[in-house]
Amino acid sequence: MTIPPTGKPAALADELARLEEIVRRLEADDLDLDAALALFEQGVACLRSARERLAAAEVRVRTVLADANGTLRLGEIDG
Amino acid sequence: MGPGDQVLSIGDLTAAARTVLEGSLGTVWVRGEVVQCKVHGSGHWYFTLRDAAAQARCAMWRTYSQRAGRPPADGTEVFAQGRPTLYEAKGEFQFVVYRLLPTAGIGDQQRALERVKAALEQDGLFAAARKRLLPRYPSRVAVVTSPDGAALHDIVTVAGSRWPAADILVVASRVQGDGAARELVAALKLVNRLKVDLCIVGRGGGGREDLAAFNDEAVCRALAAVRVPTVSAVGHETDVTFADLVADVRAPTPSAAAELAFPDARAVRRLVGDLGARLAGGLSRRTRLAAERLERTGDRLEGALEETLARRRHLADRLAAQLDALSPLRVLERGYAVPRADGRVLRRRADFPSGRSFSLRVADGDVPARAD
Repeated sequence: MTIPPTGKPAALADELARLEEIVRRLEADDLDLDAALALFEQGVACLRSARERLAAAEVRVRTVLADANGTLRLGEIDG
Repeated sequence: MGPGDQVLSIGDLTAAARTVLEGSLGTVWVRGEVVQCKVHGSGHWYFTLRDAAAQARCAMWRTYSQRAGRPPADGTEVFAQGRPTLYEAKGEFQFVVYRLLPTAGIGDQQRALERVKAALEQDGLFAAARKRLLPRYPSRVAVVTSPDGAALHDIVTVAGSRWPAADILVVASRVQGDGAARELVAALKLVNRLKVDLCIVGRGGGGREDLAAFNDEAVCRALAAVRVPTVSAVGHETDVTFADLVADVRAPTPSAAAELAFPDARAVRRLVGDLGARLAGGLSRRTRLAAERLERTGDRLEGALEETLARRRHLADRLAAQLDALSPLRVLERGYAVPRADGRVLRRRADFPSGRSFSLRVADGDVPARAD
């Protein structure tokens, strides 16, 4: 069993990698305007979500607990 | 021959003897049997070491005896490291001991360590080639450590100051004493069932403590089998454990491990800012190019489009400054229009044969148009 990621969609790492890729493509010369606009729109979405993620919150600390059957669950602890 | 002027005081005598003694051997290891270890109220230990041929009075000052654990029982065979000196007040020869190691098991322990090292080495677990790079932006990090140790506290503190997005999963394990190795193996196996980007294995610093679990073969193999990059933070500058050698990165302390694991959010914010500027710049350049192309064919377009073109430079230049407000729809709102027909953008003269119908995409929809 794997614990699925909770709440957060794409990780910041993926977000930044996508953003870098979008910028690279947008800076290349072989795009038509439609594609550029579409890319730009995606880029803005990435940028917004990366910023939100960076602004987000506090460090989250949880403990991993395994019961007798080996089932895992997460317990909150005070970080 | 009488005494004359050659008389030394007793103090001179013992001081001279002490100088000779202290200058002769320096620090040495001896082996012997402990007799009558007495713990003084001050914490100093006094005992005798003897072997078949001789004996020596020994003193172990509190600074050292504190680290040596319990006072040795009578008859314990030990290796003792120390310096010979002379206790002047009593004119007594004395061996001042710094370290005391029971001989029982030492040879075995050393041999066992060497065997483990050879086995791990043979399987390539120390090889530089298998070291993995740490992820640049970990979103989830597993920390294998004692849940109430200083290591966890240090890691969480550093993570908080550098990388507020950190999501830390603590996999609890004893890190020293009986059963520590077994628990560490289980914890490391458990890490492989978690969705994490990185794994820190740590324990608090402090004095000379028991690092045996981190030299354990099973622990080292479990660490090597962790699917994500690993950082060891066993907390000793001087004693490198096999686990340190197996981990992808070795950190001298848990805090240092957290600094290696978590990027500095301020630097990342700068990077995001740069990417944002490049994104805006990229679009602005693209739209300017597109607008220029349109301009070349503009004399044949309808008035609405010409009006649009007149504003284009303005718009393109302002794009960069107003990144967050921008989306393709806003671009159109500022007066851009894009001619399209059959689902594609028309950008060449040849795309506008006389009488051709096309649509102009403006902010709130499409406007039907026709080339003259």
